[in-house]
Amino acid sequence: MDKGNIMSNDSIDYLIIGNSASGLAAAESIRELDGQGRIVILTEEEYENYSKPLITYYLAGRISAGRIYLKEESFYRENNIGLLTGARVISINTGNNSLKTEDGRSFEYIRLLIASGGKPIVPEIRHSTAGKERKKNLERYIDGSNYGNIGGIFTLTTLKDAIAIKEYIGKNKIDNICILGGGLIGLKSAEAFLETGMKITIIELADRILAATFDREASGIIENTIRSAGNGIYTGNTIEEIFTDNGRISGCRLKDGSQIECGMLIIAVGVVPGISITRGTGIKTSRGILVDDHMKTSVKNVYASGDVVESMDILLGENRNIAIWPLAVRQGYVAGNNMAGGEKSYSGGFFMNSVEILGIPSVSMGLTNVEASGDGSVEVKKELKTDRRQYKKVVIRDNRISGLIMVGNIERAGIYAGLIKNRIDISGIKQDIFREDFGILHLPSNYRKHLVVGEGIEV
Amino acid sequence: MRGKPGDEAMKRIFIKEEYCLGCRLCEIYCQVKHSKSKKIIKAFKEELVDVLPRVLVEEIGHNAFAIQCRHCVDAPCVAACISGAMQKNKNTGVVTCDEEKCVGCWSCIMACPYGAIKRDLVGRKIASKCDLCEDEDIPVCVKNCPNEALEFRDTGE
Ligand SMILES: Cc1cc2nc3c(=O)[nH]c(=O)nc-3n(C[C@H](O)[C@H](O)[C@H](O)COP(=O)(O)OP(=O)(O)OC[C@H]3O[C@@H](n4cnc5c(N)ncnc54)[C@H](O)[C@@H]3O)c2cc1C
Repeated sequence: MDKGNIMSNDSIDYLIIGNSASGLAAAESIRELDGQGRIVILTEEEYENYSKPLITYYLAGRISAGRIYLKEESFYRENNIGLLTGARVISINTGNNSLKTEDGRSFEYIRLLIASGGKPIVPEIRHSTAGKERKKNLERYIDGSNYGNIGGIFTLTTLKDAIAIKEYIGKNKIDNICILGGGLIGLKSAEAFLETGMKITIIELADRILAATFDREASGIIENTIRSAGNGIYTGNTIEEIFTDNGRISGCRLKDGSQIECGMLIIAVGVVPGISITRGTGIKTSRGILVDDHMKTSVKNVYASGDVVESMDILLGENRNIAIWPLAVRQGYVAGNNMAGGEKSYSGGFFMNSVEILGIPSVSMGLTNVEASGDGSVEVKKELKTDRRQYKKVVIRDNRISGLIMVGNIERAGIYAGLIKNRIDISGIKQDIFREDFGILHLPSNYRKHLVVGEGIEV
Repeated sequence: MRGKPGDEAMKRIFIKEEYCLGCRLCEIYCQVKHSKSKKIIKAFKEELVDVLPRVLVEEIGHNAFAIQCRHCVDAPCVAACISGAMQKNKNTGVVTCDEEKCVGCWSCIMACPYGAIKRDLVGRKIASKCDLCEDEDIPVCVKNCPNEALEFRDTGE
């Protein structure tokens, strides 16, 4: 599908790979500075525009397919942005500022933004079939290239995946799902399936779910909640073999020997930056594309932003891939601004996420899985109310908050995010940060002033 | 209506902490304004339990402070919103949450450094915040503050 003035042989002023959080934020920010320049967005997907994190809400039936869009229909027209769907970029030639798509087209650019996000990982898993199918020449292992050949095995990172999953559930009356991976996407999927009344089994390699973002106590609350609703969680475990029946998944065997029946398997072991298109371009990459604080890559006129990059983690003081929506938007905004001649810089970010499982909301941000240090430079305050399923933890490093977990009650969590982001010295208010009514009035007066000046408050 | 499209100087609520008595009338008028009937007696009797105030009074001893969404220039809630519900109006700069689009993921609550967004758990679970009473000349919290601790004026002044 082509929208807007794409078909022209002139070089495109702003060519953007990626039609999601980061690419769209960039296009908007370009338009703030340049009302005329030609903007073209390419996406490998068939859908014109949707919000990726909403796909699990779509699965849960909380939002309809008609409402899953991120931008209003008029967005592209009003901003005069060309959009090309079904256009998978396969190679970039930074020597002559051009790129090629899978369907054989090529595009020339003046400035290029790579906002191509991440790709799901599919590990290799042994596969056996039951009954008469044995004779057929079926693959012995599934992996990223062939898992789609088996009915009922999915990854869940695109709207196409979600639609296929919904269809499969409806057609095959699935009520019993295995989720491989207890990280964020695994738990977001769990949230959706539990909401629709399915039984789930989560299989996680680490010794607890959400191990990267939660500590033991917080993981424990969520695990107990999921288990006590009649679902299974296997930690320190993985799937060693899957079983199929008539070309469809029917169960799996875990490392510890347990056998589980299931009508569907969601593979959610992680996402990696989709950097394969930078091969042979000279664009420097590590795990993700390397960028400076203007979101410039190592190659002139090529920018990158969002889940595909490694960017400054202000808490670690080093570049790393933090694949979350707010940072993808912020980086896209900065990239677009610089592409259009602006001077905004990216001040770095830190991890944050919110999940709600079976009615229990939770937030985690920064570095949370940390214990107090002997020399007092790292302090940890925690409070666990097991009966009320509430937990709060604040990690303080060198008198600055560097991590927060809130489970059960997440009200005003953003105040802590502000303290983390602005690296505020909280030595004077340590006794207050755990109060139920902790608020703006408790903040150090300098920071309170900073917060409010310029944004409209006089204090 | 206030503020023409493209106006640089946009009207905002300013807080004058030293005048706030902590009477919480702003909260009540905000609740009434966002109730179904919009009538104070009826709203009080039947609806208020279900309506969250979108302005929050904080109090420590004699210090009080009323805070609502600051409609930030670079709004972190808008960047954090995964559904496209939280939007900043290009012309007026007012940040509003499209309640039909909100899925209640609470990303905005996690991002707002003022703690000015709340979970509204009545009906569909959605984010609740100040809309600057766009259909009024003056936001009701400002209009009904007995001590003029809230002021509504151009940001440029
Ligand atoms: C199920 C799920 C739930 C999530 N929930 C949350 C959440 O609650 N909070 C949160 O902060 N984050 C969440 N995330 C993460 C969030 O979605 C990402 O951080 C965000 O989408 C990153 O935006 P992006 O624009 O960098 O990349 P993406 O959103 O991944 O978009 C990449 C774009 O590039 C296009 N593309 C990729 N490769 C090519 C190619 N070769 N050629 C052409 N086009 C290409 C794609 O079609 C797409 O348009 C979730 C992710 C998933 C999968």
